[in-house]
Amino acid sequence: MSLRSTFTRLRNFFHGRSRSERELTAELQSHLDFAIDQNLRAGMSEIEAIRQALLQLGGLEQTKQSVRDQQTLPFLESLLQDLRFAVRLLRKSPAFTMVAVLTLALGIGANTAIFNVVHATLLQPLPIRNANRMVVIWVNNLEHGWSRIGPAGQDYLDWKEQTKSFDDLFLFEHGTGTVTGVGEPEQVAGLRVTTNFGDFFGIHPLFGRTFRLEEAAGRHNFVILGNAYWHRQFNSDPTVIGRGLTLNSEEYTIIGVLPADFAALFPSDVVVPFDTDWLKRADSDLGVFATLKTSATLDQASGEMNVIAQRIASVRPSRNGFGVVLVPLQSARLEYLRPALLVLLGAVGFVLLISCANVANLMLARSIVRQREMAIRMALGAGRFRLIRQLLAESTLLSLFGGAVGALLALWSTQLLTIFVPSRIPVPNAADKVLLPHIHMTGAAFAFTIAISLLTGLLFGLIPALQSLRCNVNESLKEGGRGLVSGRRGHRTRSTLVIVESALAFVLVIGAGLMIKSFQHLLDANPGFHPDHLLTLRIKLPNDTKDSPYREPRQQATTFQRFLSGVESVPGIQSAAFAEIVPLSQDDMDMGYFVVQENSLLSPDQRLAADYRDVTPNFFATMGIPLIRGRGFSQQDDLDHPRVIIIDESMAHRFFPNQDPIGKHLQIPDSTKPPREIVGVVRGVRDTGFDQDPRPTIYFPSLQSPDQTMTLVVRSSLPPASILPAIKNAIWSVDKNQPVFEIRSMDEIISGIVSAQRLAFLLLGVFAFLALALAAIGIYGVTSCLVSERTHEIGVRVALGAQPNDISRLVLAHGARLAGSGVVAGCLAAILLTRLLSSLLFNVSATDPFAFVGVAVLLILVALAACYIPARRVTNIDPIITLRHE
Amino acid sequence: MSPKKDVWQGTLALMVLKTLESLGPLHGYGIARRIEQTSGDLLSVNYGTLYPALLKLEQEGYISSEWGTSDNNRKARYYKLTRAGHKQLAREAHEWAETTAILARFLSKEQAS
Repeated sequence: MSLRSTFTRLRNFFHGRSRSERELTAELQSHLDFAIDQNLRAGMSEIEAIRQALLQLGGLEQTKQSVRDQQTLPFLESLLQDLRFAVRLLRKSPAFTMVAVLTLALGIGANTAIFNVVHATLLQPLPIRNANRMVVIWVNNLEHGWSRIGPAGQDYLDWKEQTKSFDDLFLFEHGTGTVTGVGEPEQVAGLRVTTNFGDFFGIHPLFGRTFRLEEAAGRHNFVILGNAYWHRQFNSDPTVIGRGLTLNSEEYTIIGVLPADFAALFPSDVVVPFDTDWLKRADSDLGVFATLKTSATLDQASGEMNVIAQRIASVRPSRNGFGVVLVPLQSARLEYLRPALLVLLGAVGFVLLISCANVANLMLARSIVRQREMAIRMALGAGRFRLIRQLLAESTLLSLFGGAVGALLALWSTQLLTIFVPSRIPVPNAADKVLLPHIHMTGAAFAFTIAISLLTGLLFGLIPALQSLRCNVNESLKEGGRGLVSGRRGHRTRSTLVIVESALAFVLVIGAGLMIKSFQHLLDANPGFHPDHLLTLRIKLPNDTKDSPYREPRQQATTFQRFLSGVESVPGIQSAAFAEIVPLSQDDMDMGYFVVQENSLLSPDQRLAADYRDVTPNFFATMGIPLIRGRGFSQQDDLDHPRVIIIDESMAHRFFPNQDPIGKHLQIPDSTKPPREIVGVVRGVRDTGFDQDPRPTIYFPSLQSPDQTMTLVVRSSLPPASILPAIKNAIWSVDKNQPVFEIRSMDEIISGIVSAQRLAFLLLGVFAFLALALAAIGIYGVTSCLVSERTHEIGVRVALGAQPNDISRLVLAHGARLAGSGVVAGCLAAILLTRLLSSLLFNVSATDPFAFVGVAVLLILVALAACYIPARRVTNIDPIITLRHE
Repeated sequence: MSPKKDVWQGTLALMVLKTLESLGPLHGYGIARRIEQTSGDLLSVNYGTLYPALLKLEQEGYISSEWGTSDNNRKARYYKLTRAGHKQLAREAHEWAETTAILARFLSKEQAS
């Protein structure tokens, strides 16, 4: 078909402009007249002349139709016809339409909502250059069980010098800084970066510039503002460039403002540069990113880096036993949330399949009623392809309606979802926190909805359509004549659909059951302290400047002591303490080596490692960590008294098996200080997460090893908001320039830690409920269909003396059989699939037998309940009426 | 009488164009008769396919049509060749000649070998 004629025909189609029917008839009539004339001239009788003329034309109507087909695009035209017909049909049975549309809307809505989350988190590329080639580099030490720790500045410098796998390496350190001079003293989230910052990420600053490479040579007090901070604190003033900012009591010059989307990677308020000297001093827990060369693979890079690590260890013995871990940045950021999201994606896929099966069932039931209609159409010459298209038009229309309602549901539930999706992801073992993007409906989500609706329409439309293909015209017309519809074959398809549906529902409910059980275990897990009624906040003493009074360790210790006595006197506070790192907070890490002086079995250079924690005496009481042996810390354990430490149970078990650790001494390597005596043993604390075992931990009295940054822990039965102002005032009465930050209750910290599990648990629960309800509707539909089809047979049975109860039992047994088959199939599928859940499960086996049995019973009960109504209806069947109906 | 051959697909349009070129404006029946006569009554035109073909040619702009009156005073729709139609006819006739020439050469060679 030439372009031109296609165009003409399209135009004809849309403008209804075509050769009129009357003209066509007139033309063909004149043709016949010519032919008849000719035939008469040839000597035929009049009747023969007309007959021959018509024969030669090959049927007047057929010719007209083929001309009509040529006039516009017959495909479009009949599609329009199909759609019009489908709309009429759907309007004629509003109940069916409503149920089908709602069922589909639930399936499609759930999918769109989860797609939204996945799209915003997993699929959205980071707003940086070469994001897909960026890797995070950690060091590890398997000997000590350190899977990922941040490297030191010297590591970075060595790597950068020796590696050939990367285009560039970038180093950063998260921290906080105190901004004074603009309103209340504020602790801001800071990022210290190597000067290749701008170039490494391909940042185009909103205003000003980023750092220059050569600025690493000396100390430059330049600061780049984060977009949100600039917005909040400077009212988006474009003239900030060149102005000053007092950070940690030093004057900085603002040189740039970051673009807004950069916060997706680093939600920092201020960015300041490392200089090379500082870099060499920066000892650990730094972050390193690197851009993989296009020619290098991750494995190659990993191999090369580990060779370099061995070389480094031969020069710097302190690095003995350390390897290097490379993880692509994109996956490192979200590896915590990914399993939950993928499980949910699978779950909504199941829900959609169940919706499809349900609607396919409804359509099948209808198609059996419509078998006569189809048979008549076929008898009249409708092609099978045309019939299939008709049915597909109906199903597509339904699914598009379903999609429209589903999009509304998704719009609404996405808003709900944002409550459950954590906005900040705590990343264990990394000095990094990930800020999740705001989730909202995007164009992509709408495109997804439309695509999935069409796909759904095809999926559930094809089954009844293919079924109708097998329809035997003669049989149907004959059967129809008798006013009886039998659908044995259709029935088998529908039963299969219901079994599949119950199997899918079974898998979902199992998944949800396992998650519920696991979540319960998680919340019941004893973290080793009492997490309720605890409020935490952090304080960092500004000691970066030369004239800071806090440069002196003794001064730091006494300042925190003064803060503490101020806070302790606030009414309503039961107990308060300072700790370098609060359990579960994942704020920071501090670990190191030790040598047990009394242990002759270990050679002096064999070094053991443990977590270090500096705490004030009241810490154990405030946290509710029980003392098992010995004594706790007291105010006397200061710099003027002998060095003491307390160890935890797991350390006692591991390094002092069958011994009393009290009175033993630990020497901290690289320290000139005298050995420290173990004076107590406390219960172990799950420091990194509920699902982790307590790690060997050494507690130091903070008076003997002061810190610059500490976390205040307050136990009070009053709500945090009501005591917080008094706590802040108590601190500001000691130093009015001292900001407090990261104010969180322990409940908040915990809810952050279990956020992925909670997300999976809540949503899986919702989806499982949906699946169960849909499966129940499916079983109900098939059973009641069966009952109405077998009304006649049942009437005969009753007439022959069957008791109503026998017949109800028959129906119930049928439903139970369907559900039972579904359970068996579901069991098999679940055994295979729940394994995918195992990374989200805590203390529950993925094939927990109780869950399997419980869910099987539940599903069969639901099936029986769904069959109850049709089973009741059976007992009302009056044999006289059914037989007379015949 | 040997059965008549149906018009080969794709050649009907060419025959219609050629007929209109040689005879000038003509109605559908006339075109069909003319094709049959020219073929020495060896071809039979399925009139059912003629009218869609005419419509198609008109949509492509090769022919145009208007109502007129025949010699014996019958009203009929008359088709005539447009300028584009003349060009198209020349083009298609040339292609057809080429095709048959190739085929002829091919067949004669086959025979020779």
